[in-house]
Amino acid sequence: MGLDRRGFITFLVGGAVGTLCTPIPWKTLDDVSIWSQNWPWIPKLQYGKRSQVASVCKLCPAGCGLSIHKVGKRPVVAQGNSTHPLSEGGVCPLGSCSVRLLYRPARVKGPLKNNNGKFEPISWDEARRILSEKLSSGKAACISGDENGSASEVLAGFLSLLGSEDFYFMPSDAQVSAYTWSQMGGKGQIGFDLENSDYVLSLGADILSSWGTVVRNQKAFATRKGKYIYAGPVQTGTAAAVDEWVPVYPGQEGVLALGIAYYLLKMGKGATIDGFSEVKNFVLSKYTPAVVEAKTGVKINKIKQLAQELVAAGSPCVIIGSDFGQGSGSFDWTSGILLNLLLGNVNKRGGMVLLPEVKVVESAPSRASLSKNVLGEFLKNVVSGNKKIDVLMVYDANPIYALPQALQVQEAFSKIPFKVGFSTFLDETAVMCDLILPAPHFLERYDDAYTPFGSGKVIYSVAAPVIKPVVNAKSTPDFILEVAKSLKKDLGYKSFEDVLKAKASAVGADFEDLLSGRTKVSNKWVGQNQLRLSVEILANGLVPDTEGTFLAPVARNYLGNTTQALTPTEVVVVRDSELKGRDLYVQVNRTTAKKLGLKQGDKVKLQGAGREFVGRVNITETVMDDTIAVPLGFGHEAWDEYVRGKGDNVFKVLSVVTEKGSGFQVWNKSQVKVVRA
Amino acid sequence: MAKGKSCLVLPFLFGLVGALIVGWWLFPELLYSKKTQPIRFSHKVHVEDQGMSCDECHSYREDGSFAGIPTTEQCAECHSEVQGDDPAEKKFVEEYVEKGKEVPWLIYQKQPDNVFFSHIAHKGIKCTTCHPDVGHMDTPPVYYEDRISGYSKQTMKMWQCERCHARRGASNACYVCHK
Repeated sequence: MGLDRRGFITFLVGGAVGTLCTPIPWKTLDDVSIWSQNWPWIPKLQYGKRSQVASVCKLCPAGCGLSIHKVGKRPVVAQGNSTHPLSEGGVCPLGSCSVRLLYRPARVKGPLKNNNGKFEPISWDEARRILSEKLSSGKAACISGDENGSASEVLAGFLSLLGSEDFYFMPSDAQVSAYTWSQMGGKGQIGFDLENSDYVLSLGADILSSWGTVVRNQKAFATRKGKYIYAGPVQTGTAAAVDEWVPVYPGQEGVLALGIAYYLLKMGKGATIDGFSEVKNFVLSKYTPAVVEAKTGVKINKIKQLAQELVAAGSPCVIIGSDFGQGSGSFDWTSGILLNLLLGNVNKRGGMVLLPEVKVVESAPSRASLSKNVLGEFLKNVVSGNKKIDVLMVYDANPIYALPQALQVQEAFSKIPFKVGFSTFLDETAVMCDLILPAPHFLERYDDAYTPFGSGKVIYSVAAPVIKPVVNAKSTPDFILEVAKSLKKDLGYKSFEDVLKAKASAVGADFEDLLSGRTKVSNKWVGQNQLRLSVEILANGLVPDTEGTFLAPVARNYLGNTTQALTPTEVVVVRDSELKGRDLYVQVNRTTAKKLGLKQGDKVKLQGAGREFVGRVNITETVMDDTIAVPLGFGHEAWDEYVRGKGDNVFKVLSVVTEKGSGFQVWNKSQVKVVRA
Repeated sequence: MAKGKSCLVLPFLFGLVGALIVGWWLFPELLYSKKTQPIRFSHKVHVEDQGMSCDECHSYREDGSFAGIPTTEQCAECHSEVQGDDPAEKKFVEEYVEKGKEVPWLIYQKQPDNVFFSHIAHKGIKCTTCHPDVGHMDTPPVYYEDRISGYSKQTMKMWQCERCHARRGASNACYVCHK
């Protein structure tokens, strides 16, 4: 008997009925639904023992203590270390991203050699051989962005042994203040004892958002004993939170300081400094209230009121700083320091204090002498041919992105035949180097922070690695010690850990204690000899303004900083009024917009320093008249897809002027021409 | 008519029986791949010969979470070097302890990440209620991996959790297991 059509269909029906009575349809359906929830790109939880270890944040110079939560061997979350005096349990937006930055796509995965524009992986041994060879026959220089770590000391000490004095810090208020103070005959590092002050006047320094020891400043503000006043051009985080915001044109805070000094002098206040009578006469004759009002935009009555309030306070403190943490000059700092001297609060509780320096690498110059090395001047000399450098090492810094006059910086780079980037991330500077030698993320290395700038106390913190490097990175100071050894230069230490142990010992701390998250804190202040002050510096505030609208760059931690681009985690917190699509917004108030003929959303070009910046207009009353505010941190050309090509870089249009009397390059008073794009 | 009827019954039965055989015998054979553990770990050696108790390796942490399978570092407290002549131990020391790697153990009862299972909340229930009774085995049991879902054949399904909860009067609210 054959199987006819009907029989075959019946067979199929039987098969179908039978199949329904088996696990095939039901199990397959269930399994497919589970399979559809387990795509390979969905991250899987990794279980392990939960623990917390101490670390020190090195993403900015604030030196906050962190408490890193770990699961098994992996760090997962960064919180503020509640026992650390600079964080007291707090953490800034940048620090809170630190763990996830371990896996940022822009991380340099291993040592790279530039072979005619193409980066090729090499071994660390080869990297050491190449660098040793270059250094043995050429003149070296170094740029460092680590202003309070011992790694810079190792690099500076190594350069000295090579016979070079060309060690430069990236420009910062820390550097300008140190230089200014030493020019005045002062000793020690300037600090501000906010915790004990009953009246804090911040001239420009955005202390609660981006300046100095930010988290510690916020903690001091939270437990304030008196008034906080902020003077600056933009309603920053500080301006919005403090008791009063006094709008001042960008970079004119030094003039305001002298305007207040005028009233203090009129009240009979004085200071024991050489040349005081000359200074007094100069301020009283040149910085009259009317002049100061015209330069700063602050009404005469307000200047007088600030002076009266400062005098009435028991322990006033005047903080000086650039609105965006850099570009200030000796004039700004001299004016602010003079104000503190007139108030008699130098080395007084709640005032401006002077903190001692510690150095353990014998061959390294002191910080005070390093602060005299001006990076902009160095680059200018390289371009002009006055300075010939064969090897440039760049550590933890991104000068190609974060310096004004980018063309000059690029030209200087192109004139240096061999450049080495010790960078954790593939930033704009790293991609211009001949060797990229990845520095470990701070959670992967030993590192330290000695008395971060702005702190009112000596504070020394050390951190051990929290995780093994997730890429083929090597501690830069350890690598430098290896190179030094191969060149038969003795820095006196076998490893960077030994350097840190020596520093711990020098400050009188137990190394193991420091690693466990405890800090060495000291209230020791440095006594001063006779100070001096010349009117030549003070005259810089009288230089007439150029044409154009005042430009006020704004630094915000959540947008990154000069070494760390906007983090992938923080992309979502960028406001629509800051960046929309790829267009960056510049902020002007209604009066300025009307004067310039601008409307909300207009595309504009800011022209300055021979270059252009493109953005869209956002009208907001958080900016003072005749001023255009622009956030820093955009316009990256390297890094990764999270930042590349988003917005424009305001550093391009900052105009640099050389300050008379100090030779410092200053760019906190830039003006731009605004035209429709 | 009768002849035609008998012709339809047989193909139906063939189809039915064939499908039942395929579904209940061939399908499971095809669905699950058989895997062995990366290291032939002998519970017997540890428990019977060395007299170790279960919680020396499978313990609760201070915070109440369950440590599960010990890490290589914990195993290396005893096995930092090869102690015996078992090739499995030699392999473990050379490939995992010396290289600082974790052993990719196959977990018979692995639950997805969206299931929050607390061991300490189930402390009163015998381990072998859910887990294979491996305590006295010299060779770990074969691991059957579902080729479609990727999970172990023994992984407990939600209905099993719910049934046990219902029988014991425990809540079956979603958030009890899905946070």
